[in-house]
Amino acid sequence: MLQMKEVSKVFRTATVETRALRALSLEVDEGQFVAITGPSGSGKTTFLNIAGLLEEFSSGTYMLDGVNVANLDDRARSRLRNEKIGFVFQGFNLIPDLNLFDNVDVPLRYRGMTSGDRRKRIEAALDRVGLAKRMRHFPAELSGGQQQRVAIARAIAGDPKLLLADEPTGNLDSEMAREVMNLLEELNSQGTVLVIVTHDPAIASRAPRNVHIVDGVAADVERKPAAGATTTAS
Amino acid sequence: MHLHPILSTLRRHRTASALIVLEIAVTCAIVSNTVFLVQERLSRMNNSSGVVEDELIVVQLTGIGEKPDAAAATEVDLSALRSIPGVRHVATSNMVPFGNSSWNTSISTIPDDPNTVNSAMYFGSQDLLEVMGLQVTAGRDFAPEEYVTLDDVQSKKAQAPAVIITRGLANRLFPDKPPIGQPLYVLGKNPQTVVGVIEHLARPNEGTGRENAAYAIVLPLLAPYTVTGNYVLRADAKQASQVLTSVDTTLNRIDRGRVIMGRKPFAEIRREYFSQDRSLALLLTGVSIALLVVTAMGIVGLASFWVQQRTRQIGIRRALGASRGDILRYFLLENFILATIGIVLGMALSYGINLWLMKAYQVARLPGTVLPIGAALLWLVGQLAVLGPALRATKISPAIATRAT
Amino acid sequence: MFAYYLHLALRSLGRNRVITALMVLAIAFGVGASMTTLTVLRTLSADPVPGKSHRLFNVQLDPRPASRSMPSTEPPEQLTRTDAEALIRAAKAERQVMMSGGNAAIEPTRADLAPFFADARWTTADFFVMFGAPFAAGTPWTAVDDERAARVVVITRELAEKLFGTIEIIGRSLRVDGTEMRIVGVLDTWRVNPHFYDLNTTVYGTGEQLFAPFSTSRELKLSRSGTTDCWENAPEPEALGAPCTWVQLWVELGSMSAVANYQDFLTSYSQDQRRAGRFEREPTIRLRSVVDWLAFKQVVPSDVRLQTWIALGFLIVCLINTIGLLLTKFLRRASEVGVRRALGASKREIFTQLLIEAAVVGLAGGLVGLLFTWIGLGMIRSQPTTYAALARLDLPMLGITIALAVVSSILAGVFPAWRGCQVSPSIQLKSP
Ligand SMILES: Nc1ncnc2c1ncn2[C@@H]1O[C@H](COP(=O)(O)OP(=O)(O)O)[C@@H](O)[C@H]1O
Ligand SMILES: [Mg+2]
Repeated sequence: MLQMKEVSKVFRTATVETRALRALSLEVDEGQFVAITGPSGSGKTTFLNIAGLLEEFSSGTYMLDGVNVANLDDRARSRLRNEKIGFVFQGFNLIPDLNLFDNVDVPLRYRGMTSGDRRKRIEAALDRVGLAKRMRHFPAELSGGQQQRVAIARAIAGDPKLLLADEPTGNLDSEMAREVMNLLEELNSQGTVLVIVTHDPAIASRAPRNVHIVDGVAADVERKPAAGATTTAS
Repeated sequence: MHLHPILSTLRRHRTASALIVLEIAVTCAIVSNTVFLVQERLSRMNNSSGVVEDELIVVQLTGIGEKPDAAAATEVDLSALRSIPGVRHVATSNMVPFGNSSWNTSISTIPDDPNTVNSAMYFGSQDLLEVMGLQVTAGRDFAPEEYVTLDDVQSKKAQAPAVIITRGLANRLFPDKPPIGQPLYVLGKNPQTVVGVIEHLARPNEGTGRENAAYAIVLPLLAPYTVTGNYVLRADAKQASQVLTSVDTTLNRIDRGRVIMGRKPFAEIRREYFSQDRSLALLLTGVSIALLVVTAMGIVGLASFWVQQRTRQIGIRRALGASRGDILRYFLLENFILATIGIVLGMALSYGINLWLMKAYQVARLPGTVLPIGAALLWLVGQLAVLGPALRATKISPAIATRAT
Repeated sequence: MFAYYLHLALRSLGRNRVITALMVLAIAFGVGASMTTLTVLRTLSADPVPGKSHRLFNVQLDPRPASRSMPSTEPPEQLTRTDAEALIRAAKAERQVMMSGGNAAIEPTRADLAPFFADARWTTADFFVMFGAPFAAGTPWTAVDDERAARVVVITRELAEKLFGTIEIIGRSLRVDGTEMRIVGVLDTWRVNPHFYDLNTTVYGTGEQLFAPFSTSRELKLSRSGTTDCWENAPEPEALGAPCTWVQLWVELGSMSAVANYQDFLTSYSQDQRRAGRFEREPTIRLRSVVDWLAFKQVVPSDVRLQTWIALGFLIVCLINTIGLLLTKFLRRASEVGVRRALGASKREIFTQLLIEAAVVGLAGGLVGLLFTWIGLGMIRSQPTTYAALARLDLPMLGITIALAVVSSILAGVFPAWRGCQVSPSIQLKSP
C-alpha cells in the first residue's frame, strides 16, 4: 500500500534548517493497522503529511498504492488524495460554516459524483458514525467526540484505502476516545489501512504493529506481552 | 457546481456579504446612470451641423461708430477675402451653426396663427448656401433678383419673396404635402414662398427643445457686415492655416477702424460649443472609474480577510482533495454570486435614480442597453479584484490542516 | 486612556497595512470627490452682495397685450424702457437703478494698442453705492449727469492700467464709439459672482469694464448686449415706447414695510397704466430679493448640481466600503477582544477603543482627501467653463473636509465597533 524509501524532509526558513525526516524508510501493507509513536518534534506529523500528500518531501522515493508520487503535479496529487486517502485530525478540522451533511459532502464534491450518489454516501457515512439524525446541525453544536465522529464520516465517505489519523483522540476524554478508537478499528477490520499517530500507549497497544519515530528515523517496535496486558486493563 | 457550500458560507457571514452586495448595487446604479449621461453627451457632441465643417473658416467683425458706407465696404471685403489664395467662396452670414449668437423668428402657415413654430433665421450674401456646402434637395436656390436688403424690409419698403427651409421644418409644417410653392408667414403681413428644401442646418444653439433643433430657414436678405457680423470662408482644408493668417492683414488693409473679434476654423467653433459637454463627460467618466476602483478596493479588502479567515478551511479542503483550480474557482464563483445579487439590486436602483433624474434634471429615460454595460463592468471589476486574494488562497498548503494554529 | 486607545489604534492599523491603506484611500476618494463638487457648488451659490442681498430687489411688471397666447403667471423678466424710466423718476424706494448691458468700442490713444471692445454697463448713478462697488479713484457720476446725458464714464482699474498704465486719470478723456468721454472714477477690483443684476449677459464671468449713464448710451445709440423680447415687430427696440423689454431695474428697500409699500406702489402703477390703456392685463408684479432671484433663475448650472449628487453617491459607496473593511478588521480581532474581555475590559471600553481606531482612519482619510480635493479643484479650474476659474479651496472648506472625513468614518465605525465588542469573553476558552 505504502512504500517509503529513505525519504527526507528539510524545512528551511531564513535562519534555520530543520531536518524533520532523515532517510526514513517504511512499508505498510494492505489491511494493516499501524500506530506511530515518538517524542514530540520527532517528525510524526511530517511523516503523516508526506504520506497523505499534504506536503512534498526533499529526497527519497514514495510509492502510494503502486504510484510514484514524486513526479505528480498539484491536480494529480489532489485527485489521488481525494480518492485514496482519508484524514482524521487532532483538531477535527470541520468547516464551521457548513453543516454536518455539507462537511461530509466536501471530499465528494471534488470527485464529480451525481448528487444522488453523494447523498447516499453521506447518509451512509453519518449513519455509520451514529450521527445521521443530526446532519443539519453545525459543528459548533456538537461535542468534541461527536465532531471527531463527523470527521471520521467525512474521511470514509469516499471509501479511501488508506486512513491517516494524527492524534485523533488528543482532544478527547477517555470515554470519547474509546468510542472513536472502536470505530477506527472496525473500519480497519473491514479492510481499510489505518495509520495512527499517537502518544497514548493505551492506543498504541491496540495496534498490531507499532512504529517508533525518533529524530526523523522510523523503526518497528517489538511487542512485549506486558503491553498487551496494559491494553486489556485500561 | 459548488454553489451550495458557497451560499451556506455567505449565509453565515451575512453582514459582510450584505455590505459588499450593497456597495456593488449602489456602484452599479451610479455607474449605469453616469454611463448613460456620458453616452448622451457624446451623442450630442456628434450632432451634425449640416455644413461642410472641414472647409469653413468663420471671421467675426464689428465696426466702430457709425459706418454709413458699410454696404459698399462689405462688397470690398468679400472680393478681398475671395482673392486670398486657397479661399474658394466667401459670404456674409448673420450666424453660424453652434455659434451661440442667434437670430430666431416665429413662423406659421396661416396669417396671425397663435401656434407659431420657433425657428432659426439665417441670411447672408448670395453665395451663402454654396459656401456652407448646403445642398438644395428639393426645389432651388434663391434667384439673384429675389434678394432684398434687410433695411428695406425693416422700413417696409420691400418684401422678401422666397424662403428655403430645412427638411425637419418642412416635415413639421407640411407633413402631408410637398413644401415647394407653399406660403410661409415669416416677416411682415405677406407670406414668403418656399422655393427650396435643404437636408439639415443646425441652429446656433439648441433652441427650446430637442425637436426644435432641426428647425431653420434661410432668407434672401442682404445686410452689411455691421449687421451680419460674420464672414464665412470656404477654403481648401489643407490651406486653412495660411488663410487664417492672411485674414487680419487683408481686412485691416481695407479699414483699420474695425475690430476683428475672431477668426477660427469651424472645428474650433464646434469644440467651444460642446466644451461643457466634453468636460462633463470627462468628469463623469473619471468619477465612474474612481467609483469602480473604490468598489474593487472594498472587494479586495473583504476577500483578503475571508481568505485569511478561512485559511484553515482552505487547507482542510485541500487535504480532502481540492486542487488549486478548485480553490480559485470557489472564490471567483463566490464573488460572482455576490456581484450578481448586487447588480440585480443595482439595476432596480438605477431605474429609481433615473426616474428622479428625469424629474429633476430633464434627463431622458434610461435605455435598456446601458444595463448590460453596467453589469458587465461590475462583474469584470469583481472578478479582477478577487483574483489577487483568490490566488493567494491557492498557495495555502494543505498541511495547515495538521499543523494546529 | 485615550492615549492608550490611540496607541492601540496605530498599532492595529500598522499591523495590517494593506487593509488600512484601502480604508484610508476609500475615504479620501469619497471625501475628495464630494468636497470638490461641494466647493464648486458653494462658490457658485455664493452671495454676490454680502450683507445687502436681502435689501436689493428686482422689479418685474407685465406690460404685454392681453390677446397673445403668452403665459400670464410670470411677468417678463425685464422692463420696457418706458416703465423703467417712469419708476426711476417716481423714486419710491431708498435707492433705484436701471441698466442694460452694452459693448463699448474703445479707441486707445496709445499707438501700440488696436481698437477693442470692452463689456460695458449703461446704468444710473445709484448703481455703485447700491451694489457696493469700491472706488480706487474718483467718484460715481451724479443724478444730474444722468439727467443731462453727460459724457462721463467709470472704468475698472484693469482697463485703466491697460489703457494708461496708471489709475491717476480722473478728468482725462476716453474715446468710446467715436465720442470723447470724461473719466470720473476708477473702480477697484470688483467681482460680482454670480452676475445677479443681469444674468443674460453673463452668469459667472469677469463682469463689465466700463460704466456710463444709461441716458448717454441712448443718446449716442451705443451698442447693447443682453436679451430683448418684443411682442410686436419693432424696428427700434431700444426706443422709448417700443413694445420690448430689455431694461433691468433694481431697488433698495430697508424694511418689511418698505417692501410691502413698494409692492403696493407697483400694483397701483400697473393699474394706472392699464387705465391709461398702456397695459392690458391684470397687474402682475414681482419683487424678488437677490436670493430669491438667483433661486428663481436657477443660476447654479444643473450640471454642477448633478455632479454634487453623484459625488454624494460616491461618498456613500466609500462609506459602505469603509464599514465593510472596518467590520472585517474588527471581527478578525475577535480573539484579541475575547482575551481583553476575559481580562476585564468592558464592552464599552472595547467599543471606544474600536471607534477611536475608526476616527484615526478618518483623520488620515481626510488629510489624503484634502490632497484629492486640491487636485480635483485644479482639474475643474482647467476646464473651459466660465465658472471654473472661481473654484478654490478656502479655510472653511478645508476644515469641513477634515470634519467630513472624521465624522463620516466615525459614523461608519459605529456598527463595526458594536459588532466587534459583542465577542463574549468565554469564546476563547471554549474553541480549540
Ligand atoms: N512548517 C515548518 N517549518 C519549519 N519547521 C517545521 C515545520 N513543520 C514542522 N517543523 C519542524 O519539524 C520537526 C518535526 O515536526 P513534527 O513532524 O510536527 O513533529 P511531531 O508531530 O512528531 O511532534 C520539528 O522540529 C518541527 O519544529
Ligand atoms: Mg504532531
